[in-house]
Amino acid sequence: MAGLVTTFGAGAMTNSIGEIRDADFLFVTGSNTTEAHPIIAMEMKRAVSRGAKLVVCDPRSIWLTEIAHRHLKLQPGTDVWLLNAMAHVIVVEDLVDKDFIAQHTENYEAMKAAVLKYPPEEAEKITGVPAEDIRATAREYAATKKAGIYYTLGITEHTHGTDNVYCLANLVLMTGHLGQPNAGLNPLRGQNNVQGANDAGATPVFFPGYQRAADEEVVAKYEKIWDTDLSRAPGLNLNEMMKVVGKKIKGLFIMGEDIVLSEPNACKLEQGLNGIEFLVLQDIFLNETARYAKVIFPATAFAEKDGTFTNSERRVQLVRKAVEPPGQARADWQILVDLGNACGAKWNYSKPAEIYDELARHVPRFAGISHARIEKEGGLQWPCPASDHPGTLFLHKGGVLRGKGLFEAVEYRPSSELADNEFPLILSTGRTLYHYNSATQTRRESGPHTKQPEAFVQIHPKDAERRGIADGELAEVYSRRGKVLCRAMVTREVRRGCVWMPFHFAEARANTLTTDAGDAVTGTAEYKVCAVEVRKASVPEPQPAD
Amino acid sequence: MIQQAHIMLNSKPAACRDGETVLQVAQREGVFIPTLCHDPRLKPAGACRTCLVEVEGQRRLLPACATPAAAGMVVKTDNDRVKRHVKGLLALYLADHPKDRASETGAPDQLLDLAERFGAPTDWPAMPNVRAARPGDANPYVHFQPEKCIACARCTRYCAEVESVHAITLANRGSLTTIFTADGRGLMDTTCELCGGCIDTCPTGAMTEKKPFLTKAKPERQLEKVRTTCNYCGVGCQMDLNVDHSANEGRGKVVKVTSPPPGTTTNDGNLCVKGRFAYDFLEHRDRLTMPLVRGDDGKFHETTWEAALQAAARGLLKIKTEHGSDALGFISSSRCTMEENYLVQKLSRSIFKTNNVHQCAAT
Repeated sequence: MAGLVTTFGAGAMTNSIGEIRDADFLFVTGSNTTEAHPIIAMEMKRAVSRGAKLVVCDPRSIWLTEIAHRHLKLQPGTDVWLLNAMAHVIVVEDLVDKDFIAQHTENYEAMKAAVLKYPPEEAEKITGVPAEDIRATAREYAATKKAGIYYTLGITEHTHGTDNVYCLANLVLMTGHLGQPNAGLNPLRGQNNVQGANDAGATPVFFPGYQRAADEEVVAKYEKIWDTDLSRAPGLNLNEMMKVVGKKIKGLFIMGEDIVLSEPNACKLEQGLNGIEFLVLQDIFLNETARYAKVIFPATAFAEKDGTFTNSERRVQLVRKAVEPPGQARADWQILVDLGNACGAKWNYSKPAEIYDELARHVPRFAGISHARIEKEGGLQWPCPASDHPGTLFLHKGGVLRGKGLFEAVEYRPSSELADNEFPLILSTGRTLYHYNSATQTRRESGPHTKQPEAFVQIHPKDAERRGIADGELAEVYSRRGKVLCRAMVTREVRRGCVWMPFHFAEARANTLTTDAGDAVTGTAEYKVCAVEVRKASVPEPQPAD
Repeated sequence: MIQQAHIMLNSKPAACRDGETVLQVAQREGVFIPTLCHDPRLKPAGACRTCLVEVEGQRRLLPACATPAAAGMVVKTDNDRVKRHVKGLLALYLADHPKDRASETGAPDQLLDLAERFGAPTDWPAMPNVRAARPGDANPYVHFQPEKCIACARCTRYCAEVESVHAITLANRGSLTTIFTADGRGLMDTTCELCGGCIDTCPTGAMTEKKPFLTKAKPERQLEKVRTTCNYCGVGCQMDLNVDHSANEGRGKVVKVTSPPPGTTTNDGNLCVKGRFAYDFLEHRDRLTMPLVRGDDGKFHETTWEAALQAAARGLLKIKTEHGSDALGFISSSRCTMEENYLVQKLSRSIFKTNNVHQCAAT
């Protein structure tokens, strides 16, 4: 998000989902699309069956690698090396779009000087990807007009996550793949409303619509709108808050997140939570974090309330109430209004449409969107500055939103924790098709549960053999921070020296293993690289109760 | 200037674009041509013969779905010859198909709809449907009723062309033709990803959702469809919650989830296993139904909204007074709506005077 706002001027998919099927070259990196975004994957499959070229860049073999023309199976955490080497090839072989660079970008020379230090042969030694594959990919990407890049958390959940995004943005800018249909740089959002939550300003650095909280004008504007005085002190991001819970942070209000299951280095976090004075939780289930709560509000699920979600392609769409909530559960927006008023506010919103109007009125790019309009026309893609504006299919048409696209010179920095003698394996974590996040919803569902009843760790046959672990046996995965028990899945899908775990399972919390080191800009934690060791479990196989 | 190409459709000129089929032109012009095996997401199969039209200069009727529209073509979709053909064809399909609406347990049966529309005779000699189902398929979601199948292969083509998992296939020949898996395995033991696309594309309700079928829920026609946005990943699929408002003592129940017609929304009529099937959590007994406040005994106690709101407000304001605004943190949620996220940051900033507001999706 921050990376794209910096380089392009807007943090969102530059292009639309419907454009994928007509792309001619797809570079999918750090995204297990068939499992995390199955419907987008269908569009990719359609493009490939139409004849498009697909290159997958991922440390693991995934479903898409089976239909990919090339798989760059890189060592986790070496993305900057690989992407800079691709840029190197494009610069050295003079495949750049000179007109685009001259008209629409700045800082090209600095970026060029940086990537010249990253030749493909050196990249091969560090990333494990053959230099020829890097060259071929770079050439094809540069030479194809309708070439899109698609990425997910495999790019961002690193201490160098923003750097990774900068590298991708460099590739897009130097080849002029921006402001064109079927191309661009496209982050696929993991949750239904990641885009909307950020758009709405639920982040310490931005007020609604990415208006910077550090900008005095913006703060003054909202003081007027809300008719109150506001703090100028910079806020903490989630990663920073979690590190000082129980210390600097004495009270928390949490809506719809199970931090104990989803935040990294969870054992340390729980120690902090023990010292917290007051915690209010608003959720549909009693989650793991509830153990530390003083007050719990019963909230509603999406089918029980009205509102909007904004999807990956910036499309604002309606959520409609279909059934009544159970018992005394209340719509989240209603609870927030009630809580605000109990704390001294005088809010009198009677329905979500009024809240949306207040939000949109003061953000030019949302100003043309309203519930009433979506009701009539279907979802609208921002920017949509006026009520007669049709919305925007792809961004940066006829000029980068920022004014000039900014090249960033990026140098490789190793991940915060590397493998060593004590913890020789690199753990990445991720999502599967059948479960969702902390799985409070999907594990209460028969199908996903039957397909994937328990936690597992993927390990390479050679690594498993050395540790005397057979496929299907129980194994302990441990890091400097914690230990979990799960089933070993011996497979060549992972690289030797790497293991992979899903993060959905409360009894085998991958987040007790992961490090809380965060990206310097966004604070996003490094869920994709930490050092672990695996051993055969010392506990007996649990017997099924009858 | 290039003259826009036209065909003559029922004696009226209709513009046709490069690569379009007769069916596509007709649909754009609002001229109804009956179809069963057609799905715009799939390559034309021309299998069911329901869409046959008369093309001048062609001796036989041609399938509109698989016939390219060529400039100057003269097409009749509604003359007696075409109508007679459709009537006869539908009557043949009906010979081994359940004919009364009572058999419509799930999705509307488009074969019965067409038979009604064209007045197809239902009294042609009945034949037993001899298709076989997969015995003992214990998958939780997809139920196959072979007696309703017309072997149009939409499900198997969807499985191959759209979802690309090739879990189901046509098997056997002639009237024994049925929908099968490799070695007749249960779906859970195949490459099936339980997306339910086979159910969505089936025109006769032969592939149906298992859950409402087993609970004898009302058929789809009697449910209200509420269009909404999926609450899982960031694709933003549009879907229809099929609601029985009388269930759950009037609270209403989501009986099943269906997708909007292809071509109308971002997801093009597709859904994944989570979107289509993972809605049981709405009804789960673990749902929180009452506000809870932790008492002096360390346990949670059910209480009134008023008491819970006061307790929360007191607790948060106390921290603000004693430790300052920045001792508070507000964690919003990318799972909740845009409006709710706006309110959380407004609560944090305007009431509690802190910018310590964030959610898990900061990337």
